[in-house]
Amino acid sequence: MSDTLPQDEFLTESAAEKALKASEGTPREPRRTAGRSRTKGIIRSILISIPLIALVVWTVAPFFVTLSVSLKDKTEVFADPSLIPANPSLDAYGDVLASESFTTSFWNSVIVGVGVTVLTIVISVPAAYAFARFRFRGRHLLLLFTLLPRLVPSIGMMIPIYRLAVATGMLDKRLTLVIVYTAMLLPLAVWLLVGFFQAIPREIEEAANVDGASLWGRLRYIVGPLAAPAMITVGVLAFREAWNEFTLVLVLVNSPGNRTLPFELYKLQGVEGVADYPIEAAFTVLTIIPFIIFYTFVEKHVVAGLISGSGK
Amino acid sequence: MTTTTAPEPKADPKPKGDRRWWQRKEPPRQDNNAIIGVGKSTPYLFSLPAILLVAGLLGFPVIYGLVQSFYRRPSLGADPEWVGTENYTDMFSSDAFWHSLNKTAIFVFGSLVVGMALGLLFSFALFKVVGRLRFLRAVTIGPYIVSNVAAAVMFRILFNAQFGTVNQAIEWLPWVETGPRWLADPTMAMVTVIFTQVWTDLPLVILLLLGGLMTIDKAHLDAALVDGATGWTRARHVTIPLLAPQMLISVVWLSYSTLTGLGVVLALTGGGPLKATQTMAMEMYTVGFRNLEFNEALAIATFILILNGLLTLGYVGIGRKYDYEA
Repeated sequence: MSDTLPQDEFLTESAAEKALKASEGTPREPRRTAGRSRTKGIIRSILISIPLIALVVWTVAPFFVTLSVSLKDKTEVFADPSLIPANPSLDAYGDVLASESFTTSFWNSVIVGVGVTVLTIVISVPAAYAFARFRFRGRHLLLLFTLLPRLVPSIGMMIPIYRLAVATGMLDKRLTLVIVYTAMLLPLAVWLLVGFFQAIPREIEEAANVDGASLWGRLRYIVGPLAAPAMITVGVLAFREAWNEFTLVLVLVNSPGNRTLPFELYKLQGVEGVADYPIEAAFTVLTIIPFIIFYTFVEKHVVAGLISGSGK
Repeated sequence: MTTTTAPEPKADPKPKGDRRWWQRKEPPRQDNNAIIGVGKSTPYLFSLPAILLVAGLLGFPVIYGLVQSFYRRPSLGADPEWVGTENYTDMFSSDAFWHSLNKTAIFVFGSLVVGMALGLLFSFALFKVVGRLRFLRAVTIGPYIVSNVAAAVMFRILFNAQFGTVNQAIEWLPWVETGPRWLADPTMAMVTVIFTQVWTDLPLVILLLLGGLMTIDKAHLDAALVDGATGWTRARHVTIPLLAPQMLISVVWLSYSTLTGLGVVLALTGGGPLKATQTMAMEMYTVGFRNLEFNEALAIATFILILNGLLTLGYVGIGRKYDYEA
């Protein structure tokens, strides 16, 4: 019976496996084989579901406990540690939404996020198109784009960028964040888009060129629509980076009017002597939900772009 | 327009070796200018903003950091003076540096072990149900959309000594009276930081490994099966070696992320308690932005970057050796 252990679980039963079993013949009596395989099937599905349940628990548990705490009262958190609040209230959310620290940092995050998304796409699309379609001197700099982010983590950027911002008078400005985040995102964005542009058949553009389309016309009516899913992907990545980035905003921005959500959340847990867990939890949930909404909104367009891109 | 074009486009695909890459002429290709009826300056105009921005804001810090790590300000606000390698010799003779190196080693190694173990377990399990149970994919990438600070808040709640669910579960066991005081205990604080860091990094690892599993040619597995290898034997000798490239990338990514990661540590413990989670990234932040000794901090940052490069080369070397043996 040691055969029925999870060791067989790594890959699904393949055609060859079945063929092998068939060619073995049936040394055991048929009914018993059927029973064995059924038990084996049940054991197999139980064994496969254990890591899957673990995966769900591992991923969801932090979200769930945070949501649970955010619905409780400040004292209730300690008095009643059960996961389902006895009398859930939205007071913490009301407090957070009414506080200036949240609204200001929320709009700062939106502004910086939209700015980074737009700027990244505006700069990376032509660059990626040039790297993918033209042969020109310096095209080898593309390698730089794939290597640099590996060499320059944000820990290596903190002090130099801070000193640069001080020297140029760009400290404590949202525009600085937009530019710095865009620079951080560009290598990934260009790299993704180059692969996508190269996958678009050259012949389509050649045909359009024969029909009299200019470079701008080709970009606008052929490459653009075909590459829309990739551009939206780049946009999502750029927005996520701007929404979540923490270490650089920590040193580049100081005044409360310019902070983004992660910075404000960090400040929130620092200033008060005794942590107000429901407020912190509600603030955390409120930083995550807008991104989920944004993503589900955009995901539709990713799918739509894929369909219209491939079909026509 | 096509006067310089060779009759056969594939005549000389290799560029001449005696020239530098910026002097080298691209091999002529017929299809090149044929479709792109544009001026010579267009590719430069298109790519210049990106190149300038990346060079200015990613390239500049490396050079500035390296140069400035040989300077030092005699007093706060004074101009930096050249001190040679003094910042480095001071760094290597300070206890705080060795302490943080030690903590970083634990942090990186712990995250690698936990991250790869969970990553392999979850990706193998997900591979079994690929195509079905689609919601699992959305669940898997959940942590990817959470900022380091938000993850820290969530794990501070989850691992809270008094009301945290982890301790609730541990104390539910009959032989345990009180669970560990996770964030107040030096050892347990490191464990908590490792779990939080792995939680934020795992989605990418799982997607990488799952992608690798899906590209493995079924013929290899079937061949192994015909040879009588099933279960663990097949996983050990066929699946895992075929997955080696993706495992290597995962290891490189996890080690890069933990070695240079500051957000989780800073937001979760701030290096404490009693400097138990004072990693090198935290040490650099402390020296730079709390003590305002920028040049000294740049020496630490440069050391981190070099260490990261060496580690990556090391992993690639191990991976290549493994590849040759297989």
